[in-house]
Amino acid sequence: MKTKKTIFILILGLVFVFLVNFKHIRKSTINQKDSIDQLNKIQSLNSGLPFKLKEQKFAPDQVLVKFKPTLSDPFVEATISAYQSKRIKRIPKLNIYQIQIPENMTVEEMLFILNQNPDVEYAEPNYRAYIAVTPNDAFFKYQYALYNKGQEIGGIPGDPKGKPRADIKATESWEETKGNESIIIAIIDTGIDFDHPDLKDKIYSSGYDFANEDSDATDDHGHGTHVAGIASADTNNSEGMAGVAWNCKILPIKVMDEEGSGYYSWAIEAIRWAADNGASVINLSLGGDEPSKALEEALQYAFEKDVVIVAAAGNEAGSVIYPAAYDAYCLAVSASDYNDSRTEWSNYGPEIDVAAPGERILSCVPIWYWGPDSFPYGFGSGTSMATPHVSGLAALIKSIKPWLKASEIMNVIRYTADDVNADSYPGNDEYIGYGRINMEKALVPIKISGAK
Amino acid sequence: MKKTLCLLIAVLFFISMNCFIYPNPSKGEELSSFLVTSGLGFEYFNRTVSWDEDTYSSKLKSYIFLFNMTFEIKEGFFSNIIIGYSLSDFNSLVFRQLPISIKLDVGNISGILFGGEIRKTLYYFSDFEIETMGQLVYYMGTQKEWDIPGLGVKGKATGKPKWMRAQVGPILKYTGIKDFTPYLFVNYNPLWGTFSMEEKIIELVKTEDKKISGKSRFGIAFGTLYQMSDSFQLKAEFNILPYKDGIDSGFFLNATYTF
Repeated sequence: MKTKKTIFILILGLVFVFLVNFKHIRKSTINQKDSIDQLNKIQSLNSGLPFKLKEQKFAPDQVLVKFKPTLSDPFVEATISAYQSKRIKRIPKLNIYQIQIPENMTVEEMLFILNQNPDVEYAEPNYRAYIAVTPNDAFFKYQYALYNKGQEIGGIPGDPKGKPRADIKATESWEETKGNESIIIAIIDTGIDFDHPDLKDKIYSSGYDFANEDSDATDDHGHGTHVAGIASADTNNSEGMAGVAWNCKILPIKVMDEEGSGYYSWAIEAIRWAADNGASVINLSLGGDEPSKALEEALQYAFEKDVVIVAAAGNEAGSVIYPAAYDAYCLAVSASDYNDSRTEWSNYGPEIDVAAPGERILSCVPIWYWGPDSFPYGFGSGTSMATPHVSGLAALIKSIKPWLKASEIMNVIRYTADDVNADSYPGNDEYIGYGRINMEKALVPIKISGAK
Repeated sequence: MKKTLCLLIAVLFFISMNCFIYPNPSKGEELSSFLVTSGLGFEYFNRTVSWDEDTYSSKLKSYIFLFNMTFEIKEGFFSNIIIGYSLSDFNSLVFRQLPISIKLDVGNISGILFGGEIRKTLYYFSDFEIETMGQLVYYMGTQKEWDIPGLGVKGKATGKPKWMRAQVGPILKYTGIKDFTPYLFVNYNPLWGTFSMEEKIIELVKTEDKKISGKSRFGIAFGTLYQMSDSFQLKAEFNILPYKDGIDSGFFLNATYTF
């Protein structure tokens, strides 16, 4: 009873701090005409299909051979003929021969035989190379957070340029995994635009609206749609943007009204509901100044069900807000920018675990947001935008390592972060915690190549 | 794996029992003296191993320096004890079950090797002799520790490999050349093992036991024995082990002295 009363008082005093300044969303940045022009110019690679690694790793009828340099060309030719093989090509300068092997031989057999020959320096299969995984979404080039090549942030001439590779190394990690459809990210926020072209196929269920007590979690504000897009927008679909967790699904849960505020009780119910309805990750790009035992208990409930909870630190350049400040149960995320610097408005404190890009982040907005015939995308800034990058990473880890506990996934994210402010604050610090997240290190095997 | 091990033990047991069940094909006499032969040898093999339920594969290279002691328990029946030192290279093993995945590419890991062998002469005809042989060797690698690079915090990986190999099969020897005895050894040759890797990064501690097994199961070895003197003998053997997608190989050199 006492808890309920406290919650009620807190509710009245609380305005959920919207961690994004939507005023920062610059409608002008993606001008409709420019976008149409850009889209007209962008062609779909691979006929719009994702590039997949083929099963065939090397040519089945060829090998590459390097003979010892002392051998004359006629002798090499005679040797090739002796193996009943044919020369396809000689690569000049390198003196490597591309050889067609006899039909009755496998590449392995041929290599075995060739490598026994003392005149052969080495022989190896003719491997196939593949392009790296880069999504074909039209606006991917604006998503410096995922791949920063030093482009103009915002895409308008005169905009600041980012520092190359000040990003979360998403493209490298997508070669390891793009996520699993069974992994659900609960976006506890203002709801989601169910008709958005980059989200409509990503929604796990219609979710729940705790603000209006119904099962229609439609976004009437815009914040939740933006957050959801960052975490898991439909990717490699030749349009729009890329999400961090390509294949993971979104569970929309509305706890804030059209003004962008809501009660703690809604958030508390939502956290419990998400944990009981299949969420593997909960994204909380929201918070308040006041602590709440009930809120903490809701977090504990979800955490003990092995749900990874990721929460925004806040944008007031002050103390870390709640629930992010509940260090035992969630990852508190601060915001970095396109130069890997901490943003000046990002909250700080010992509770900060990691940072992720939160300055001028492109994502989805509801299709009604900019008005008719406009592109439903926009830039936003805030720790709200940093948080879903981390949620997406948590979902990818859960996708390939479902046996890990929530605490272990949180530690993987912490320990693999890049300590980008090590010059000023080496180690775990109160500004960016362990550092800016690094998806490649968290997902791709780290090579150990030397004995200690 | 347990099934395979049981099967091998059964085969070895069968071979050893052979000695007592069947009379010696030549004379069937008890030895008047107990012959002991000691030897030093070197073996190299390069085997393709698969892991994660045959999803991935890599090469296991092993260099073995061994000491062996053979006892002729009964005429035509030999028992051999093997003790050795091995350098084994588990090339590019990937541990994806650990919280932070690791790809190991560290070269040779030293370890001790021990095992046993029994050999029984079955038949003589003309200049040919048929033997049956069974061997089981076990490699136990030393525990190694590596720093995990690229992390913002200190992390360590501790690995300990082991593998086991069996060879069972008939040997056809040609005894018609003075001092030289060429032979052909058709063998069932399974190899299997485990690489145990522990990852420790602050409070993140997990272990993954990577089970490996050799892709080739059968081999054909060609070798020869060279009797340098009454008590000194050399042996050279080359083994090829085909499997579905390629061929593995190995060789063995041994020098023995009979007391």
